[in-house]
This record gives sequence, structure tokens and C-alpha cells, in this order.
Amino acid sequence: MSLETGDTGKAGIIVAPEDGAPMNKLAHSVLDDILYDLVHDLLIKVHRDEKSARANTAAIKVEKLALNAIDGSTPDQRPDVEIETDAAIYKDGKVTLKGNPLKTTKEILCPRCNLPKLLHPTDGKGAKKPDLGVIYCKRHPYIEKPGYDIYGQTWVAPGPGRGKKKKDMEKKDPNDPNSPVPGTEGSAKDRPPNVLSFPSATCSKCKRCILVTRLNNHMGSCIGNSGRNASRAAAQKISNSNGGSQNNDNTPPGSQKGTPLPGSRAASPKKRDAEEDDDADESDPSKPKKKIKLANNALKNKVVLKAANTTKKEKAKGSSMLNVEQKVDDEEGKNSTVQVAPKKSNPKGPSPTKNKIKVAKPSQPPPAGKNKAKVRERDLESESSGTLSSPPR
Amino acid sequence: MSSARPATPASPKNYKVKPAQQGQPMYGCEHLQKLFNQDQATTNTSIQHYKAILRTIYDQTPLISQTAKTVDNQVVTTLTPTYLCLQCPSTVTEDDRIKHGTKKSHRFYVDSRSASLYCQMCDDMVYDPTFEDLRLKKLGTSTFSNTRKRKQDELFAPDPVKDSPAYISQNTTTATCKANGLRGIYNAGATCYQNVVLQSFLHNPILRNYYLSDGHSNCDTPHCLSCAMDDMFQDFYAVENTNGYTAANILSGFWISERKAFENLVTTKEQDAHEFFQFLAEELHERNGDGKKPESGSEHSCNCIIHQTFYGKLQTQTTCQNCSGVTNQVQSFLDLSLPLENLTQKKGGKKLLGGKGTMTLQECLDEEYVKLDKCEYRCNGCSSMQQARRQTSIKRLPNVLSIQLKRFEYKQGRHERAAKIDTPVQFPLQLNMLPYTTVGRTGDTKDNYELARQCTYDLLSVVVHVGEIDTGHYVSYYQVVRLQRSQGRSGAKVRRAKRKGVPAVLHCQVVGVVSQDCC
Repeated sequence: MSLETGDTGKAGIIVAPEDGAPMNKLAHSVLDDILYDLVHDLLIKVHRDEKSARANTAAIKVEKLALNAIDGSTPDQRPDVEIETDAAIYKDGKVTLKGNPLKTTKEILCPRCNLPKLLHPTDGKGAKKPDLGVIYCKRHPYIEKPGYDIYGQTWVAPGPGRGKKKKDMEKKDPNDPNSPVPGTEGSAKDRPPNVLSFPSATCSKCKRCILVTRLNNHMGSCIGNSGRNASRAAAQKISNSNGGSQNNDNTPPGSQKGTPLPGSRAASPKKRDAEEDDDADESDPSKPKKKIKLANNALKNKVVLKAANTTKKEKAKGSSMLNVEQKVDDEEGKNSTVQVAPKKSNPKGPSPTKNKIKVAKPSQPPPAGKNKAKVRERDLESESSGTLSSPPR
Repeated sequence: MSSARPATPASPKNYKVKPAQQGQPMYGCEHLQKLFNQDQATTNTSIQHYKAILRTIYDQTPLISQTAKTVDNQVVTTLTPTYLCLQCPSTVTEDDRIKHGTKKSHRFYVDSRSASLYCQMCDDMVYDPTFEDLRLKKLGTSTFSNTRKRKQDELFAPDPVKDSPAYISQNTTTATCKANGLRGIYNAGATCYQNVVLQSFLHNPILRNYYLSDGHSNCDTPHCLSCAMDDMFQDFYAVENTNGYTAANILSGFWISERKAFENLVTTKEQDAHEFFQFLAEELHERNGDGKKPESGSEHSCNCIIHQTFYGKLQTQTTCQNCSGVTNQVQSFLDLSLPLENLTQKKGGKKLLGGKGTMTLQECLDEEYVKLDKCEYRCNGCSSMQQARRQTSIKRLPNVLSIQLKRFEYKQGRHERAAKIDTPVQFPLQLNMLPYTTVGRTGDTKDNYELARQCTYDLLSVVVHVGEIDTGHYVSYYQVVRLQRSQGRSGAKVRRAKRKGVPAVLHCQVVGVVSQDCC
């Protein structure tokens, strides 16, 4: 490689000491050349983007003028006029440049919406106040500001009920006066538009609105079986496989009905899913009727349960029967969503929701009330409170 | 090379200047306009010369384009850019440009580093639509024609009906300028492992083009994950929202999906992003593909978008030490898994001697796809168990290559448990995969710059896990070129977009700050 004489390369920044050895000088020179290349490549790239954008802007402007010159024409056709601006000439439907667009054209128009581009961020590092009289292209330069994202958005400060305690809130960053002040999150109206809060989303299964941060947990309990019933399901499975049954528990039968029966729900998520699909299907006319039937069975169930407690033999039998019947239920739940009737004859099969309702309302309430109770109860089960803090979008 | 291309006509081909387009000047500058409007012969030679120069710059050793001849006939090879004259075959240095210009009245030169055109009368770089088109085509596909050679590119082949501007303007709506695909995804409760994978899918130009061009349509599968992806792409690239995205449909599709292999993944707990990537790839393959189960290890390939994008082929060559019999086994892969365990142990020695224990991605690839390893296998030729040498190389590179670094090891000892390897792995923004391919291993490809460029990947996104082995947080970066923050970090997974084929990658915008990930 031949080198020009001198202690440095083209950039002239990395200079070897005058008394340096030849290899030393060569190394400096090579490094200097590489530095020059890096700057050259970067510069060409920026230059290409900028100059092409300005050239296109000149073209857009002159085309617009040409269109205006003959009004009423369809935009697809190229008007047959001759227009000349400082930067470009429009002739025979063709645009040609006049001079260097970097000198003749000062602004950049968006090639898509033909509106001027905002060239400086509106906030944060390097911000400039935009001209309020101009409608800019909606794509803005990104904002670089601590605590804010590239669009200048920030978050509702973590407050009570959002995973932070009060004393955490008091520790505010004093260096950042723009950091969101606690208390501003009161309601969506009080908040400046760039302060975001967590939205809610609709669960595709139960169609309820869930705060997004709880969505995964909700789906776990709604679609999967990882909710708080999962451990009960596991316990149930173990106790069943050991040949025992729930009736061995110390809890008296009465209180057992107060809380959901372990297992029955989580052990067969499919069945539950099927039921809920039913619930969601509002056009199903048979729904209210079923509810009434279900309530009718409540008393019967109670009797059977008590009777089952009497002898040990019967109990063992009962538990094995239970297993069989639950399986059958599962099958039916899978295949049909409407036919839920056989479940009701099952002494222990019904899902916990039903059991609960039975206890709460032993008489026959109107179907509407029943529905409400069910929903409320499900609320408690799958989600903790805190929906209050779910802010509107 | 390709039989599909019609034979070159005997008569000289007349080159045309790129036709006028709305919102774009016809020529780069007034002087180029004059050049192109002289006569057809001048236009022909100009375009032919530019093509030849592009070939010299991109396909041949840089020694040629970097060597210039000064006015006093001195040959200079330099590291800094030289200028190739558009009107004659000489190469000059920057200082000699004016002398050459006054002597020969040649006014246009091509910069040897960027292949941009310099106009002496403007005294500026000029970006002419005709030349820029050629340059981008050369850089992107190595050919100047629109025909694609490779079979796998069928999916991206231009459709004469659907690609016509009239059809497009009739059947599409222009998205708002505000929508640029940069949005966070809300963490729905320990779902950052999903969000990072979704983000990298969102910024994958092939997948984006597929979904935005209605690739997945007419689907009536309930809770289809591909439909959910479709919705998500719409929301990222067509809606003005800049706040976070709620991936509710993806999440529910994930919960409802019943994949036996990924049963353990479906929980409310923190999970492995790589496993989710595999899950999503398989699920989307099933929704879009031929419906066949992807068998890992087989040579199965299909035309679905996932296979076209991510799947490549590995070849394992086993050489028997006894009879020198060679067996080849080919299998398709979704991603390359690079173990760090052995390398960190080797480097451990150096670490003690001083210096930081870092390694490069290329070192990891060398370990896996260049070095031979020994194994025992049952040789058919000898019909007995024999010692053999095994060597794995990449037979076919995918369009988007994903590399996963296996950052865990099982610590031997009293408490045998998995631990995370925190050794930083440095990765380049451009990666040449030629040394790891079967072609690169066998043939003499040292000077094949065209092949090397075809095998060069641009960094598209990086997914990083921060924290311990069993808990922590995933962060993802996309084309974070301006800021150096992603460099040298402990990348849990690197995904690259191959430059080939998709011009979108070439002029995609470099984003300085990535939108907050809302986790």
C-alpha cells in the first residue's frame, strides 16, 4: 500500500508524534483514514436522506401548483401546464430540478400527506416551539426526555392501590419538575393528555372488562385453571386418588356448601367453559328456565348429601360414584353446550357457583336476581377488588 | 445461470431513464438531465457504466475500486474513498477530480464507498432516481432485474395484478403518518416474555408486509392467533394511537391454544421468551401453512410465512474414521442455539490472567459451525460402531435468522441447579454468515463478495433478559443503531433480518429511542 508522505491520513485528526517510528506513523495514518471513512459514510447517508427529501419536496410543491393552475381536473391526470418555481420546473407532466435543492428548498414536505414535517422535537432535548399557525405532518421527531417516551408520554404515578405504598410516592425526583405529581391522576379529565394510565381490556371468554395489568391472571383463572382453584383442584385430585372424599373433612357439611366444593370446578375446566359460553350466549331462551330448575334441586341435594354421611360403606360408594359421574359430565360438557341438565341429578357434581347460590337463596328467586348473584360471586372469586382504580381510557 | 431469463438479444439494449413519478423529480440535477437528454447512446453508456461501476464496487475486491491513478500516472491505493469516472474507466482521487474534469470534461464520478454519484458542476452528491434504483437493487438482490432466482422467494414475487399502482390505490387506504409501528405492549402480568417476541415479530419487515398486505385473510377459526397477529399489525401500523397496545387477543389465543409441547408455558408465571417464540412460530405455521405438524429434525419445509421467514436448513456431515465414509443429514431449523458453557470455561483461564471475560458472537458460531467434534456412530460401510468426526454447517440460510444464546448452565456440586451465564457476548450490527454455511465451508469463496453480501445479515432486534435465571425481565431493542446502548450487553437472543430480498430493510428508518416497553 503506497502512502502519501505525511504523518497522518486524510482526516488529519490522529497525528503521529514527529519522532515516531515508521510503523507508528503508518498505524496513525491508517487509523486516521478509517476515521475519515466512518465520517464520510455517515455524512453520505444523512446527506442522501436530506437531499432526496428536499428534492422530493420541490417536486411536490411544483406539482401542487400545477394542479391548482387547472382546477377541476382529476388528480390522476397530469395537467398540461408549465410551472416554474425557485426549485423546480413542471413541464409535460415531468418535474425537473433547478439548482441544488439543499439551497433552494428550506422545508421538507411529507411525501405521503404533503404536509410540512416538524423538524425539531416539541419537548425534551433539542426542543423548539413549533409554529402554531402551520399544520404539520403527524409524524414528529422523537422526544428525548427522562421519564417520558419518544412521543412525550408519561405514566400515572404509582399511587396507593397500584402496587406502591404512600411513602414511595413521597420520594419524588426533585430534579425533574415535570415528573407527574401524585394526585393528578384523579380522573381522566384532570390529567394532561400525555399522561397515560393502564387501560382495560375485554376478556374474550367472559366478556368482562379487566384492567390490563391483571389480564394474564384473569385469563389464568378464566380460561386456564391456574386461579386460586388450582391448588384446590390438586388437593381434590390427591384426596380422590387416595380413596378418601371430602366428607372425611372436619368441616361440617353445612359450611362446606357455603364455600365452593373443592375440585369440582377446577377439575373440569372444560365443563365450566361450556357453561360460561352458555351464559355469554344471551340469545339462548332456555337459560332462565334452567336456572329455576337448578334452584329446585337445591333442597334435594342437601338431603342426599346428609344421607350420604350416614354410613361408611355408602360414603365410599358415593365417592367412587362421584368420580364416574364427574367424568361423564366432562364428556357432556365438551360435546354440547346446551344440555346441562344431567348435572343437576348429581349429588356432588354441581359446580361451586351453583352450590353457593343454592345456599344463599333456598327459595325460588326470579331468574334475574340469580344471574346477578352469580356474577357477583364470580367477581369475588377470580379477581380481587381494585376495579375501582381501573381508570377510564 | 437462470434458465427462465430470456436470452440477451443481439441488438444493443436501449436503457431507459426511470419514468416520472409523482412527488419525485425526474433527474438528480440539471446537469444529469442534460446528459440523459443528449441522445440514446449517451444514456445507454451512462447507465451501462454505472452498472459496471456498481459491479466493481460491490462484487470485486475493494483493492480495485480503491486504487486510483493520479494525473501524473502514479498508482495510489488508498483507504479513503476514490472516485470512479462515469464517462470513462478511470479512477481518480478526490484531489484529482477537478484536473480530470478539466482535461476530459467528464463531470460525473461515483464514490467508491457509497456508490453515490458526484456531480462536479453542482459540486455535490446527486441522487438520481434512475441510478438510486439500480444501486438499491444491486445492494439488495445482487441483480439489476426484477426476477428472483431463489425458489423460496416465491412468496415475495411480484404479482402483476396486485402490484399495479391502480389496483393498490383502489383497494388500500393510506395509513396515517403518525402510525410507525413504534408502540409499547402492556404487560398483562408477567407477560414480558411474550411482549418482547411480539415486538420482534412486529418489526420484522417480512411478517409486517405479509400481514399488512392481507396475507392472512378469510379465516374463521375461533381464537385464531394469526388473526390476532393481523389485528395487532393493523393497530401498530395504521392507527394513530401512541400509547401501549393491549395484546388481549394474543393472550387469550395463547391460553386457549392446546399445544401439548408447550403446556408448561401456559401459566401466569414468568416464562422463557425463546419457548414462546417457538410456540408462536408453530402456532402461526399451523394457521397459515399446509397444516402439517412441523417436525423438528426432519427436512420438512412448507410455503407458509413462518417457514419462508425463519426456517433454514442445517447439514450434519459425519465422516467415519475407519472407512472415511461420509453421511450427510439435513434438518430444518427455526433458530440457531449457541451454547456458551464450553466457551466460558475456556475463556475462564484467560479471565484469570486479566482482561475482561467477553466474547463475540462469531466466536460462538465458530465453536458450533466451524469446528469438528468427535462422536461414535454406527457406520453403514463398516457395519460396526466407529469413531467419527461430525461437522455441522448451514445448508440454507433463512431470510430472517434468529440466534439464541443458551445462557444457562448446570452447576455441578452439592446443589445441582441451573445458573445463568452472565458473560457479555458482543455482536456486530452486520453479520456475515458465509463462513458457517456449507458452501462457505467447502468451496473457495474467499473472494466472492457477492456471495458474502448475500449472506450478510443486518441486526434487526435484540431480546435481552435481565435478572436471575428464574426471575427477571425481558427487554427488547430494535434497530437501535444510533445509540450504542445495546452493544456489549448480554444478549439473550439476537435476531437478524437478512438484507436480501426485502428492500424495506434497506431503507428502513433507524430509530434512536425505542418506545417504552410498558413492562
